[in-house]
Amino acid sequence: MKRIILICFSLALLPFMSCVDDLDTEPKIELTLDQLLADDPNAVEGVLSRLYASFALSGPNGPGSSDISDDAGESPFLRGIVNLQDFTADGMKNRWGDDGLDQLTTTSQWTSNNKFFRYLYNRIYYTIPQCNNLLNVLANASVTTSESIISEVRFLRSLAYFYLIDAFGRGVLATDENFGTSEFLPEVSRQQLFEYVETELLAIEPIIGNNNGYGRANTFVVDMLLSKLYLNAEVYTGTARYSDAATYLTKIINEGGYSLEPNFIKNFSGDNNESSEIIYPLIADPVNSQSYGNTTYIVNGSLSPDTFKEFNPDTGQDEPILYKFGAAEGWQGHRATSAWYGLYGDLATSTDVRASLFWTQGHNYIMNDYREWTDGYPSIKFRNNDLNDTPSSGTSFSGTDFPLYRLSDVYLMFAECAVRGASNATMSDALDYVNMVRNRAAESSITMADLDLDFIIDERGRELNLEGHRRTDLIRFGKFTGGSYLWPWKGNTAAGTSIPDSYNLFPIPQSALDANPNLDQNTGY
Amino acid sequence: MKTKINSFLLLLLIPVFCFGQSSVKGTVSEEDSGLPLLGVNVLVKGTNTGTTTDFDGNYQIAANIGDVLVFSYVGFFTQEISFNGESTLNIQMAEDASALDEVILIGYGSVKKEDLTGSVEVVSTKEFNKGAIVTTDQLLQGKAAGVRITDSGGTPDSAPNIRIRGGSSLNADSSPLIVIDGVPIGIQNPAGVSNPLSLVNPNDVESFSILKDASATAIYGSRASNGVIIITTKKGISGDPQYNFSSNTTISEAGSGLDMMGSEDYVRFIEQYHPDLVGSLGVDVGTVSTNEASQVIQTSAGFKEVYNTNWRENILRSSITTNNVFSVRANYKNKIPFRVSLGHNKAQGVVKTDDYERLTASFKVTPSLLDDNLKVDTNAKFTFVEKNAADSGGALGGALVFDPTKPVYDNNGPFGGYYTNTDGNLLDGQYNPLALLKQRTRPEEAFRFLGNIELNYTMPFLPELQAVLNVGLDASKSDISETLGDGALVGYRLDENGNGVFNPGLNYAEEQHITNTTFDFYLKYGKSYEDKVIRSFDAQVGYSYQNFKTDGNKEIYAYASTTDEGVIGERYQVFNENNPNNRYFNSQNLQSAFGRANLNVLDKYLITLSFRADASSLFVANDVWADGVWGVFPSAALAWKVKEESFLKDVRFIDDLKLRFGWGRTGQQNISGIVGFYPTSPLFIVGDQSSQYLPGVNLYSAAPFQTGLTWEKSSTFNAGIDFAFTQKRILTGFFDVFKRETTDLLTRVNLPPGQALTDNFIANRGITESEGFELGLNLNPINSDKFSLSLNGNLSYSITEVTDLGGINTLPIGGGLLGTGSNLLFNKLGEEPYQAGVFKQVYDGQGNPIPNAFVDLNGDNQITEEDKYYTSLRPNWNFGFGFNLTYNNFDFSTSFRGQLDGKVYDLNALSFGHTESAAPNNNTSISNVLNFYNGAANPVFRDAIGNILYSDYFLKNASFMRCENIVLGYNFSDKFIKNTSMRIYAAVNNPFIITDYDGQDPENFEGIDRNFYPRPTAYTFGLNIDF
Repeated sequence: MKRIILICFSLALLPFMSCVDDLDTEPKIELTLDQLLADDPNAVEGVLSRLYASFALSGPNGPGSSDISDDAGESPFLRGIVNLQDFTADGMKNRWGDDGLDQLTTTSQWTSNNKFFRYLYNRIYYTIPQCNNLLNVLANASVTTSESIISEVRFLRSLAYFYLIDAFGRGVLATDENFGTSEFLPEVSRQQLFEYVETELLAIEPIIGNNNGYGRANTFVVDMLLSKLYLNAEVYTGTARYSDAATYLTKIINEGGYSLEPNFIKNFSGDNNESSEIIYPLIADPVNSQSYGNTTYIVNGSLSPDTFKEFNPDTGQDEPILYKFGAAEGWQGHRATSAWYGLYGDLATSTDVRASLFWTQGHNYIMNDYREWTDGYPSIKFRNNDLNDTPSSGTSFSGTDFPLYRLSDVYLMFAECAVRGASNATMSDALDYVNMVRNRAAESSITMADLDLDFIIDERGRELNLEGHRRTDLIRFGKFTGGSYLWPWKGNTAAGTSIPDSYNLFPIPQSALDANPNLDQNTGY
Repeated sequence: MKTKINSFLLLLLIPVFCFGQSSVKGTVSEEDSGLPLLGVNVLVKGTNTGTTTDFDGNYQIAANIGDVLVFSYVGFFTQEISFNGESTLNIQMAEDASALDEVILIGYGSVKKEDLTGSVEVVSTKEFNKGAIVTTDQLLQGKAAGVRITDSGGTPDSAPNIRIRGGSSLNADSSPLIVIDGVPIGIQNPAGVSNPLSLVNPNDVESFSILKDASATAIYGSRASNGVIIITTKKGISGDPQYNFSSNTTISEAGSGLDMMGSEDYVRFIEQYHPDLVGSLGVDVGTVSTNEASQVIQTSAGFKEVYNTNWRENILRSSITTNNVFSVRANYKNKIPFRVSLGHNKAQGVVKTDDYERLTASFKVTPSLLDDNLKVDTNAKFTFVEKNAADSGGALGGALVFDPTKPVYDNNGPFGGYYTNTDGNLLDGQYNPLALLKQRTRPEEAFRFLGNIELNYTMPFLPELQAVLNVGLDASKSDISETLGDGALVGYRLDENGNGVFNPGLNYAEEQHITNTTFDFYLKYGKSYEDKVIRSFDAQVGYSYQNFKTDGNKEIYAYASTTDEGVIGERYQVFNENNPNNRYFNSQNLQSAFGRANLNVLDKYLITLSFRADASSLFVANDVWADGVWGVFPSAALAWKVKEESFLKDVRFIDDLKLRFGWGRTGQQNISGIVGFYPTSPLFIVGDQSSQYLPGVNLYSAAPFQTGLTWEKSSTFNAGIDFAFTQKRILTGFFDVFKRETTDLLTRVNLPPGQALTDNFIANRGITESEGFELGLNLNPINSDKFSLSLNGNLSYSITEVTDLGGINTLPIGGGLLGTGSNLLFNKLGEEPYQAGVFKQVYDGQGNPIPNAFVDLNGDNQITEEDKYYTSLRPNWNFGFGFNLTYNNFDFSTSFRGQLDGKVYDLNALSFGHTESAAPNNNTSISNVLNFYNGAANPVFRDAIGNILYSDYFLKNASFMRCENIVLGYNFSDKFIKNTSMRIYAAVNNPFIITDYDGQDPENFEGIDRNFYPRPTAYTFGLNIDF
C-alpha cells in the first residue's frame, strides 16, 4: 500500500513536465495568419476590407467597438473629418459641447488636450500601421497577391497621410519598411510627408487598375487624391502645383467615365451607390456596416423630433416625421449657418435645388446662440431613404454612402486651377464645368466675368458643404484665419471675429507628444 | 471554582501506585460556565483506547493505574491527567482564547498562529456579520482591517469589489486571490453569476484567512499581488454525530429614494419651465382604462386627466428571503470524520421580479488512513443558482424619470394592460418600468461544482518527510434564456406600414461551460529538536498548475429594419456565417515552482523564506521559456517573540508580544479583462455581422498585440506587532504598517503614433507606491458566567501614489457621465490613482452655482482642460467596529463600518437636476426631475451641456458610518428540549447610515452615483438548533 502511494505520487509528477507546454494557449475563434489564409481564399481581401472600413467604422465588433482607445461613437475617421473640416468652418455648427466640440465650433481655445484633435490623429495613425502591417504580411505570406491589391493598400495609407498633412502638418513617416521598430521614429516635415505621398501615388497610379469594384480605389481615385494634394500644394509646401492638379483632373474628366447625376439629391440618398457621379464613397449600411461615425452622424445629428414635425390630420396634432428621412433617431446637434444658406439668396424664392435642403420650420435664420437648437437651419442634404422613396419607418443607422470624392468637386477644382492660371486648364472649359454643376442644381449659368476666385469658394460652399472639404478650402483661399472673412461664431462671438494664423493647423495631441519625444508641437499651441 | 482546581492539583501531586485495569468515568465541563462539553476526546496516552463525551459531558473509559489520560477538545487547552485509580474523574477544561484560530492556513500548508511571521488576519465564525447574509462576502464586510468590500448594490447576487490595502494595480485586476478549501477560484465568473462567492453557503464557512503582506502572499506568487483570502469550510468532528438546523426569514425594505417630483409639483414645474410641453402632461381625458385615481385639470393645452403615480413604489416591494441549512458533522466508525450540509436559499430583491434561488450541498471528508500516515481532505461543493435577471437597472432608471402624471395601467392600450407613452404607434420616451419587469423573463441558471482531494502522506520510513498532492476542479455550466411576454415593450417594433408588431418569445440565449483545474504537489521536510539553538525547521518544495477554460455560445436576435434582414419589425436570429454559434472561447494557464523554509531559533526568533517562479500563458507568444514569461517572487520574514525573552517572561501584564518584519515580492498578470487572453500573439479577428464593409468578402481585423509583456511586480515591506495584555487576554490586537512599491505596472499606455496596430495598449510601464497601516483590537473586559462583553474594532489607512506613468502626466481612464466621450476619471502622475478631473465652480452672492462659470485656475483668461483640478475619489480611511454582549441566555451584538473620506460624483443631481432634463432630446414625452421646489435641485441649471458636467458642484463627500447589523438572540438550554440546544434571534441589517451625502448612497465603488440598486434595510428572524 505504501509503495502504491509512492508510485502514485511519482507517476503524478511525470506528466507535469510536459504540462509546461500548456502555457502556450491556442485561441479557437481568433485566427493566426496561416489559419486565416488556409480557411478563406478571400482572406487578403477580407483584411483589405478592414482597411477601407477604417475610414468609416469604429471597430470590428459592431458600432460600440473601437480599434483605438478612444470612444467608439465619437472617434471614427469620418466623424473626425466632419468635426474638424465642417464644424470649424463657416457653414456648420454643433451645439453639444461634448467636452471640446464647442472649441471646434467656435474656433477658439484650441489646446493639445482637446480630444477631438486626438480622435482624428489616432485614426490616421491607426490606419497607417495597419496598412504597413498588411504590406509586410503579404510580402511574407504563402499566397501571391495582385499588384492592384497592394496598390490599394498603399492608396489607403496615402489617404490617411493626406489628412495628417492637411490637418496637423507634421508627424512621423511610418512605412512598411520601418514597421515594428522599437525606437521612436523621427519627426518629418509637411514637405517630406507631401513628397512621400506624391511619390507613392505616382507609383501606384499606373498599376492600380481602372475598376476594382464598388467602394474601392482605382486609377481615378488616385488621380483625385493627387489633384487634392497638388491643389493645396502651395499651402502644404509653399510651391503652387495647379497645373499638375489640372493634369489629373483632366484625366478623371476625360477617362473616368463619370457623369453628373441628374438629381443632385441622389448623391446623398440611400441609393447613392447607383450614382454616376461618385468617384470614391465611404460605404454605410444600416445592417452590415454600422457606425456612429459615418453618415449616421450627419443624418441623425441633423434631425430632431422636436422641430421636424408635420401636422397629422388623423390625430389633429403636429407629429415628428424623422421617418420621412429614413431615420429613427434625431440627436439635434448640427445646424447650418447663414454663411452657408446665405449663399443662395432668399431660400424661399431660390430655384436652386441645393437651397431646398434646409429645415427652416421652427428655426431661426440667425444663430444667436449656437447651443440653442432652434438657432440656425439644420441641413437635410443627407438622408437615409432612397431618392423618390417616402418611407414609413426609419433605421437607427444610415445606409447612405458618404461621397468623399465626386465629379462636381472635380469640375470645381478644375475651374479653380484655371482661374489660378494652370497652363493646361482653359477658362472656357472651366466655365462649362461650373455651369454644368449649377445647371444640374437648377441654378442659372454664370458668365466668364463672374468666374473668379470669390465665386469659386462660394460655389464650393453651395455645392460641397458638409462633405468634409470646407476648412481646407477656406485655408487655400486665405479666408480661414484672420479677420478678412467672418462667419457666425468664428472666434467665439456670434458675429464672428478674427482668429490667429496658427489655427491653420490643429495642435498635435498631447497623447502623441507624450508617446514619442521626437514629436514637436505646432507653432502657437 | 478555585478550590476545585486546587484539590485537583493536589490529586496529581500524590503519587499512588496501583496496578490492574479498572474503569473510570466522569464529566467534562467548561471551566467558565460549568456547562458540560460534548464530544471531548478522551484517550489513554500511547494507546488506541479512546472515547468521547456524550451530550451531558459524561465519559467512561478503561485504564490502568499509572496511565495518562489525555482530554482534548478543539478550542480548549489539552489536559493530561495521570490515572490513579479513582472511579470518578471530573474534568474542567479551560478555553484557549488563541486556540480557535490556532492553526492558520497560509497557502500550501498551515502554521500555528504563534509562529506566524507575516501579516495574516483570521476572521472566524464568532466575528462574522450576522443577520441577513446571502453570500459569503457579507460575513466579512467591515470585519478585517485593511479589507474594503463594496458590493455593487442591494440585489441578492450583487458583485462584491474587494480591495486589500487599496490594491496597487492601475489597469490589471486589483482583486485579491480567493482560495476555497485549497482551490483558487477562476478568473472569470460563470455567465449568470455576478458574485463568485455565492458558490459557498455562508453557513458552511468556518474561517477566512486574509494574507495581506507580500511575505505571506508570495507563496501564492502569480495571483497574489493584491492579497489572498483563504476560505475554509467546516469539517467533521470526532465523537458523536452533531446535527444542526438553521433557518431564517428576512423581510427587506428599500427605504426612500431620490426626491423626485410628485404629480402636483410636476404639473407646476412643467407649466413654469416648459409651457410648450404642457400638452404632454397626463393623458387625454377618458382615453385610459384603469382603476387608478385621477383628476381632470385644466391646462393651457386644454383639459388633461392627471394621475399621481409614484413609479419607484410601483417597481419595489417588501421582499422576503428565506434561508434553511441542515448539516451533519460526524465521524464514521471513529475513523472518517465528515460533514455534510444542504442549504436552500430563496432571496427576493426589493425590485419586483428580481428573484434568486440557490441550492447548495457540501461534503467534506477528512479521514486518516494507513496508521495516520495518509491524511485525506476531500471537499465537494455543488451549487445550483437560478435567478431571474430582471432589468432592474432599466426599471430603476425608468422609475426615476417616468412622468408621474401618467398611470401605471391601461387596459385600452395594446401593451398587455400597461400604460406607456406612444406617439401614434411609435413608443415615445421611456418604457413603463413596471412593464419592463413584468413582461420579460430572463432565467439565468448556473450549476457549479468545486471540489478537491488533498492527500498528505507522511513517509513511514522517514516521518519528517511528507508529500502533499492536491487536485482540484472548478467546473460550471450556465444557461441563460431571455423570453418576452405578450405585449412586451422590449420586442415592440413597427412594421413597414407603421403598425405595431409584438415579438413575444425567445429573445436571447447563451450556454457556457467553464472548466478550471488545479494541481499542486509538494514535498515537505520538517524536524524539531529539544535543546538545540535551532528548535525546529521545515522546508518544502513544490509545483503548481492552474488552467482556466471558458467555452460558450450565444443566440443573438435582432429586429428587421430593412427587408434584407427579414419582415420589417419582426425578430430574426442574427447569423454570422464566420461563427455560426457565436462561440467564444478562451483559456489561460499558470504554472509555478515554489519553495519555503521555516526556521525556529530558541523559540524566540522565527524566520520564513519563500521563493516562487511563475509563468503565465498571457505572456507566451510561442516560446514558454522566452524572456518575461517567468517571474521570480522571493520573500523573507522574521518574527521575534518578545514575550519569550527573559525580561518579559514574568511580566504578567503582557500575555503575548510578538514583532514581525517581512519583505516580499509578488506578481500580477491578470489583464485578460482589458486585452483578452492572447495579448502577445498576432491574431486576426473575424468582423462582426454589423461591421462588414466591402461587399462579398468577410472582414478580418488585425488585432493589436504587444511582444515582451511581463509580470507586474510589487515589493512590500511590512512591520507588525501582535499583542495580548493581561493574563486573561482582556486586550488583544495587532498593528501593521506597510510600504509597497509596484513596478512594471501593466498599464494602458499611449504607443508612439504609427508604430503599433493601435494607439494604446497594455505595456509594463509606470510605478505606484503605497503605504498605510492597519490596527485591529479586541477587548474582553467582562467575562463571567452570567455576563460577558467583548468589543472589537479595526481601523486602516492606505494611500497609493502614481510615481511614474511611463513618462506622461495624465491618462484618461473612463468614467462616462452624460453623452458619449464625457470622461470624469484620470490617472495622474504624483496623485492617487482614480482621480476625478473637475472645474472649480463659481458661486453667486446667494451661494447658487453659476452654470458654466468656473475658476480660471491657470489665469490665462480662458477655461480649458488645463483649468481642471484633480481630486481623489477612493477613501483612504476605513473602519469597522462592534460589540458582543451576553447576559444569561441572552446575546446582543452589533457592528458598524464605514469610511472617513472619499468622494462621490452625484450624477443623478446632474442628470435630473437641470430644468431641460424634463424634455429629452429624442422624443416628445416628458421626464420627471428632482424636486426644484424643496431644494433637491437648483433650477439655475437649465441644461447639462458644455463643461457643466465637470463642475465640482456635483462632487460630494462620501464619508459614512453604516450600522451593519443589530442582533438579539436567546439560547434555550438543553433542559427546554432534551439533548437539544436552540437559539432564536432577531436581527436588523443596515438599519441606518450616518452621512452628509444627500444622493442615493455614499458607498459606491465606482465613485459615480448613477442608477443605483438600493441597499435595503433587512429584518431577520432566525432559529438555530443543535442536536
